[in-house]
Amino acid sequence: MKFPSTFLLVLVALISGCSGNKHSIKIKGSDTEVNLAVQLAEAFHPTHKGIFVSISGGGSGLGIASLLNGTADIANSSRSLNSKEREMFRDNDMDIDSFVFAQDAIAFVVSESLLIDTLTTDLLAQILSGELISWSSISNLDQPVNIYGRQSNSGTHAFIKHKLGIEFSPHAKQMNGNAQILEAIKVDPSGIGYVGAGYVQNGSMEGIKVLWIKAGSNGIAISPFDQERIARGEYYFQRPLFQYFRKKDRERISSFLEFEKTDKGVGLIKSSGYYPAHYER
Amino acid sequence: MRDSNIRRRERIDTFFKYLFEVTGYVTIALLGGIFFMLVYNSVSFFAEISPVDFFTGNQWEPESSEGKYSIVPLVISTGLVALGSMIIAVPLGILCAVYLAELAPTRVRNILKPAIEMLAAIPSVAIGFLGIVLVGPGIAKLFGIQNGLNALNGSVLLAVMALPTIITICEDAINAVPKTYKEASLALGADTWKTLFKVIVPAAAPGIIAAVMLGLGRALGETMTVLMATGNASAIPCGFLDSVRTITATIAIEMGEVPYKTTHYFALFAIAAVLFIITLVINLIGEYFANRRRRFHA
Repeated sequence: MKFPSTFLLVLVALISGCSGNKHSIKIKGSDTEVNLAVQLAEAFHPTHKGIFVSISGGGSGLGIASLLNGTADIANSSRSLNSKEREMFRDNDMDIDSFVFAQDAIAFVVSESLLIDTLTTDLLAQILSGELISWSSISNLDQPVNIYGRQSNSGTHAFIKHKLGIEFSPHAKQMNGNAQILEAIKVDPSGIGYVGAGYVQNGSMEGIKVLWIKAGSNGIAISPFDQERIARGEYYFQRPLFQYFRKKDRERISSFLEFEKTDKGVGLIKSSGYYPAHYER
Repeated sequence: MRDSNIRRRERIDTFFKYLFEVTGYVTIALLGGIFFMLVYNSVSFFAEISPVDFFTGNQWEPESSEGKYSIVPLVISTGLVALGSMIIAVPLGILCAVYLAELAPTRVRNILKPAIEMLAAIPSVAIGFLGIVLVGPGIAKLFGIQNGLNALNGSVLLAVMALPTIITICEDAINAVPKTYKEASLALGADTWKTLFKVIVPAAAPGIIAAVMLGLGRALGETMTVLMATGNASAIPCGFLDSVRTITATIAIEMGEVPYKTTHYFALFAIAAVLFIITLVINLIGEYFANRRRRFHA
């Protein structure tokens, strides 16, 4: 009966292998933040050999759900919790806290061949809600607008919807991630999409143009790469990037959160195309 | 001595008989359990949203402020992609099965058959990836449209995935046609083509229909491929070049973020129940024809 005992041993190893490790931090959530989080974790590891940080994406909504279900220690989220989620944490007797570790600007991208450089937020709302269906009235292109958005579990999707006060056009394509949006815009002259500004700076800019955004009709056009204006909070689509965690875990994960505030951490945040946070809540 | 030996053997036999019986019932219990869970959660959904809105509306926008839950765009999308995949896969599958069963030399068949079965082993996510990087851009270029993430892309990929099922079952059906049919036809002076398409294929028709139904079931339930390759726009599609969002993709996208025990959560069970019923009916039709074939040619 050698087989069953070996089998049991393997089973025990499999079950116990991934639980109860006090020195691991599991981070899940926003796809916008995942690249930055990976870089931070890589820089964090040499000085904290005993702590293993694992990071995965999946969208802000997924990260928050994982925090609620206990499968993540930190939920990266590019939006704040909505009232339903707050209620559920309360129902489950979970005290949670948040930490703003960086800020992000959302870039609206179009094909390089489109003769538009700036858009007002009003026009943007009309385009994304599907009211304005053709480029012909505002540009050189006589083609229908092709919207490349994110799926509804994306914090970016929810943020834009909220900020513009619209429902997205049902014709908007829902892509799997920022990279897929950029790939689609590159080859589609009639496309418009939105991605975290960090993605455009890191990726190649070839074939892609980032729009300057005017808030209202008489504001000034601001680029999502304008460090100074974003530091003053003037870009319309900038937002804090949150990390939510359970209060009881604070001690366990604080070394990582502290690291994000160090000069090294802030340097990484800047070099990846994000903006440092100025406050903690 | 001998008696006790026999008794022991009988005991072991009975034990295994019951063990196997239990495993059989476990499968049925699982099916019943899944169906019960879907229906149970769907009931909670229909307590809040009227079935009339669910089956007649034209928008699926659970995130919007008033919460629009209509399965119509999703069913049309699912149906469109599956229909397209069958238009591509059925002729290909039947012709390939005829070739394998009646025309191919043994050596070709020995290579071709395992190759076709290998096609079924490709993970759906890999096929979806091909849809993004290869089929999508190809379709965009071919039709002069801006983007190839649409129903046609999903249909092409699902056709590839349904082909092994269709070919294998079709070939079995054609092989099951008694040799006497063929001999009689040839003896009456019909040539090979006439024999194939006027005698053998019609005789195998129930089996071929079963094959198509099972392939269709596979196409309806496929998730990852369509999620990656069809664009997931929630509007009702007007043709094969529009982006579509199938039932399966909707569940996969929204399940991860939906808060527990909300209308949206129950809505996903409701559309899953509808999909379950559709595929169940299609599989039952397939089984019915498969059994009819057996009765005729036994």
